[in-house]
Amino acid sequence: METTDQKQIERRVFTSFLQGGFIEAFTGIFLLQLGLPALFSRSGFGDWQSALLTLPIALILLFVVFLVRRFVIIPRLGRVKFLPERRRKLSKLIIVPILTLIAGAIVGYIFTKNASLRHIFVGQIPFIVIPIIVFGAAAYFLDMKRLYVYGALVGLVFPSGKYLETVIVSRNILPATILFTAFVFLGMATVFLIAFLRKYHEPEV
Amino acid sequence: MKELENQGKKQTTDSLSEIMNIDRLVHSPARLSILTYLSVVEEGDAVYLLNQTGLTWGNLSANVTRLQEAGYIEVVKEFKNKKPHTLLKLTDKGRKAFHDYQDVIKGFLDIKSLSPGRTVNK
Repeated sequence: METTDQKQIERRVFTSFLQGGFIEAFTGIFLLQLGLPALFSRSGFGDWQSALLTLPIALILLFVVFLVRRFVIIPRLGRVKFLPERRRKLSKLIIVPILTLIAGAIVGYIFTKNASLRHIFVGQIPFIVIPIIVFGAAAYFLDMKRLYVYGALVGLVFPSGKYLETVIVSRNILPATILFTAFVFLGMATVFLIAFLRKYHEPEV
Repeated sequence: MKELENQGKKQTTDSLSEIMNIDRLVHSPARLSILTYLSVVEEGDAVYLLNQTGLTWGNLSANVTRLQEAGYIEVVKEFKNKKPHTLLKLTDKGRKAFHDYQDVIKGFLDIKSLSPGRTVNK
């Protein structure tokens, strides 16, 4: 039997393992993946070329994040195997983005087939709704309330960029807005990592 | 009314005798902390306990040994990347002892808070 207080302790322990800014790093890399192809394609590259140029950058950054987590963060926090209840919750977290993307693709297909609905879906709605759903699910399943704020921020990036395009007439404003937000998240990740390294030292055995 | 009063008195006496016989191995703050943090995970290593409990290596090691001797925790020593790695896990006996301890403390504090003549500072 697990009491409510123990649940709170478990939640605190679990969230302590999400320190070091790796969620912010993932969000930043995700936004880079959106912003860089948009920038390249507006600079004259084709869609495939833009994606191929961006992919190695994202993969290198993801590899760096993985290395930092594996060799810097985990040795300082220790290794833990969480209870089956927590592991089930985490597996649900993987299902939500997949279902959201499948649902988005189906809805997108239906809407784009219908000429009268096309303008609604092809506009900004998926860029607002998908991050809110994905980050909302992550906030719930990871017990991290700040992810709701991140979801709202990421959801606002696209409409903000579109709005700025109407104010400052430039082709590159939308990718610049996305990239700016990406660098804000990557900056936050760096700050959180530095704060983590100051707080935790590798234990001497 | 009298019956209720008698029942209350009996409960208090039972609870007092239970608190007097509380498991002192669990009752120590350091060991209670170790058991609490092991109860919320399936298994964890020494670094995890060190961070969560705030104990020193020496203190952690001494208390872990006592809990291990009592059969409350299982300790697995291994090498990971040529470095010693200690994995700790709460045994069924340890989990039961921890929950029994919680029940006794809860029961005792509930009755004490209902007893007459006690004031609560707010």
